[in-house]
Amino acid sequence: MTETIDPALAASGGNGGQPAEQTRQQRSLTTAAARNLATTTKSAPQMQAITSRWLLRMLPWVQVNGGTYRVNRRLSYAIGSGRVSFSVAGDDIAIVPPTLREIRPLATLDDADTLAALAGRFKKKEYRQGEVIAEAGRSADSLILIAHGKVTKQAAGKYGHQATLGTLADGEHLGEEILTGDEGTWAYSATAATPCITFAIKRSELQTLARQSAPLREQLAKSHNGHGPINAHGEAEIQLSAGHDGEEDLPGTFADYELKPREYELHVAQTTVQVHSRVADLYNDPMNQVEHQLRLTVEALRERQEHEMINNPDIGLLHNADLSQRLHTRNGPPTPDDMDELLASVWKDPTFFLAHPRTIAAFGRECTRSGVYPASVPVGNHSVPAWRGIPIFPSNKIPVTNHSTSSILLIRAGEQNQGVVGLHQTGIPDEYQPGLSVRFMSIDEQAIISYLVSAYYSVAVMVPDALGVLENVEIGH
Amino acid sequence: MTAETIEDESETTQRSLSTEAARNLATTTKSAPQVQAISPRWLLRMLPWVEARGGAYRVNRRLTYEGGTGKVMFAGTAADIVLIPPSLTEIGFLAGFTDAGVLTELAGRFTRTEYHAGEIVAADGRLAVIAHGKVTKSKTGKYGHTATSGVLADGDYFGSVLDDAADNDAADNVTATAATACTVFTLTRQAFDEVVARSPALAGYLSGVRSEQGKPRNAKGEAEISLSSGHEGEESLPGTFVDYELSPREYELHVAQTTLQIHSRVADLYNDPMNQVEHQIRLTVEALRERQEYELLNNPDIGLLRNVDVSQRLHTASGPPTPDDMDALLARRRKTRFFLAHPRTIAAFGRECTKRRIYPETLVAEGKTVHAWRGVPLLPCDKIPVTAGNTSSVLAMRTGEDDHGVIGLRQTGLPDEYEPGLSVRFMNIDEQAIMSYLVSAYYTAAVLVPDALGILESVEIGH
Repeated sequence: MTETIDPALAASGGNGGQPAEQTRQQRSLTTAAARNLATTTKSAPQMQAITSRWLLRMLPWVQVNGGTYRVNRRLSYAIGSGRVSFSVAGDDIAIVPPTLREIRPLATLDDADTLAALAGRFKKKEYRQGEVIAEAGRSADSLILIAHGKVTKQAAGKYGHQATLGTLADGEHLGEEILTGDEGTWAYSATAATPCITFAIKRSELQTLARQSAPLREQLAKSHNGHGPINAHGEAEIQLSAGHDGEEDLPGTFADYELKPREYELHVAQTTVQVHSRVADLYNDPMNQVEHQLRLTVEALRERQEHEMINNPDIGLLHNADLSQRLHTRNGPPTPDDMDELLASVWKDPTFFLAHPRTIAAFGRECTRSGVYPASVPVGNHSVPAWRGIPIFPSNKIPVTNHSTSSILLIRAGEQNQGVVGLHQTGIPDEYQPGLSVRFMSIDEQAIISYLVSAYYSVAVMVPDALGVLENVEIGH
Repeated sequence: MTAETIEDESETTQRSLSTEAARNLATTTKSAPQVQAISPRWLLRMLPWVEARGGAYRVNRRLTYEGGTGKVMFAGTAADIVLIPPSLTEIGFLAGFTDAGVLTELAGRFTRTEYHAGEIVAADGRLAVIAHGKVTKSKTGKYGHTATSGVLADGDYFGSVLDDAADNDAADNVTATAATACTVFTLTRQAFDEVVARSPALAGYLSGVRSEQGKPRNAKGEAEISLSSGHEGEESLPGTFVDYELSPREYELHVAQTTLQIHSRVADLYNDPMNQVEHQIRLTVEALRERQEYELLNNPDIGLLRNVDVSQRLHTASGPPTPDDMDALLARRRKTRFFLAHPRTIAAFGRECTKRRIYPETLVAEGKTVHAWRGVPLLPCDKIPVTAGNTSSVLAMRTGEDDHGVIGLRQTGLPDEYEPGLSVRFMNIDEQAIMSYLVSAYYTAAVLVPDALGILESVEIGH
């Protein structure tokens, strides 16, 4: 050890004035040698991908014994998510014909040829920022689909000034009334807030097409008189009589249910963990190798479970928000005003917001710019940022697109509140954690032990207004 | 080749029981039927419910001399708007006058004037009724600056045609300025006097009003209780009594009812795990309770929105609900327990706060985090109407019988009671084996003293 003195070190130490020390003999045991006798204290294996998984922590979990959970609802007539899709190939953008059925009056039109013909009649038009797409008071004679861009709806307030009614964006449409046949004027002005690409069809062209195509004609006639009375939420009305005097005839009524309620099957996230038997048998002091292999695998599964509960096209919360519960930011970044708007959409006892950490930072910036400092709220031992007293939890599972846009979720939780619930089944064989099992599979000819690790979960939105999404939130500054 | 085909087959052929097949043996966990229309119903939760034995509740008040609690009504669109003659009785000195012919003639004497925003609406010696628009009343403050004393809007009136009106606005040097474009109907004193001269009925009625106006009254219009204080020596003390209204308002319990029909086969057989009748009743009751809240706010007879005293009706100064407007609303009463507003109005108020760099603290009410202003909870309620012009209202109220506030009335102990004030009675089973239940909710709301309930009107919620 002492012989191998770094010459560079010796040279640099030369000016220090103590050259004698460098050549001095080692007089006691070095730490390097001592380490050979000592036991190193070791940490358990660490993992960067573990997050706080607030969604899993905050959602109440409902026990699903038969593997399937049926959400019974009052009969509701509203159908169609309302968003038309567009295919983009380079500069060429076109309507995907089957998605025209997302427009409510066309919801039950099944004829592919008719849909294709209808899609073909739409004319593409581009608008620059600030251009007027529809003007209040003019005759509303076309159905306009927004392929790309943001459109602001404005109308004159009661005392004359302009009031903004809301924002429409990609896939949404205006002028649905021409399908149901009522002649009328635009109740609002629509202005392009960003450069917009739209597709429009005139009433006259629609009527020409309807004369040629029997399925379309029937569809348009059908949408006039589809169903009985409905309430503001599209549910079949429970008829009541109130404030009457004397011996009035009372309505007979019943609460109708959906005939085909949605059933949520438990999804599964699975993997096999393989451990060589020699590793499992011998290297277990002080830490059990199998246990740590399993612990890390379970953490990874739980992370995946949260990802799926947000992003899965079937059960994921981002894909299960009702159209009326999807809002767009007005300018781009998440402003306090947008958050207030989101709170107004899930106004019945909201429980928490969920947003990407960068989105939360962007919201903090907007608060600072507006000059407000929202108080944070305590949750357990943590202090979390909040807006109007509702905590905003971070989750990196909410995707951030290439254009630095993301979404903010607002959730009402709980089965009793008709909110969002997590579904799982406890009491499964070889259960390791609630809803997660570790089963021994086999030891193969190479002496590798395999364990099957499975997590079963799903998430259900009991009624549409339990979940709101603020979309297209720009998080770059 | 053969190996490949075998592999392909093994991929496509199911080797074990599929989940679809397994589900046929398993019991699906089912949720109770969910309803979107259920709301938190804060009004029903926050109102103290008072027992109304005998189905009616009489609110005895001190005798009040002032009449006319509402607004003059107009019909038609902006171009050809006309005054509805019977609604002229909403003007204080015409309250209780019933001669329709004279009222129609009076209505005909009004002339219509349009004002642009910023113009001064002259009302000296005239009665001006605002058909549409907002008018700001202001006067010169003690040290020279202009002090705003309130906002009037659709249906409100100002000025007077009575020569002896002591509290005439003109006498106070009040200037009325159009805050927005305004349509105003005015009646000159000369025209009014002509009508009075021709109608003995009106002349007689007015002399009755004048003699009543001579009686002593306090600031709230109640008959004065004469007192003496600060006197020295042997002054003769006033003899007094507290006069009551002779025909006090009685609130009868209103009813919301329906008959619930269930086929006996459904009720008999399909009861595992959830009782069908129970859930039908639960959903019907929820619908009734939602309707009850709607009626408590909007019913023309008992609805709180219709029963606000004219002195408690405010208008927003600019349009959106600002902190200043909410402060003005709070200032009109003691012990405001809560505000009630449409969720979109609350969002609009939040925007106005943010614009002013204010972050109002939230409160916890009944375990729920709610918005608040000045420590008074601002509760959401989707039954407060939002008009086509995107305007809405904010209600503020003091509650409780002890505080002379707003109370809910109901009667408990009904036969076949299901919840307090709500009964479910079995009616019959008919020849088609349909069982019928009569579901009734009895309720009403009473404002004990006019200043218990205030409203901020024409709140613009578009942003």
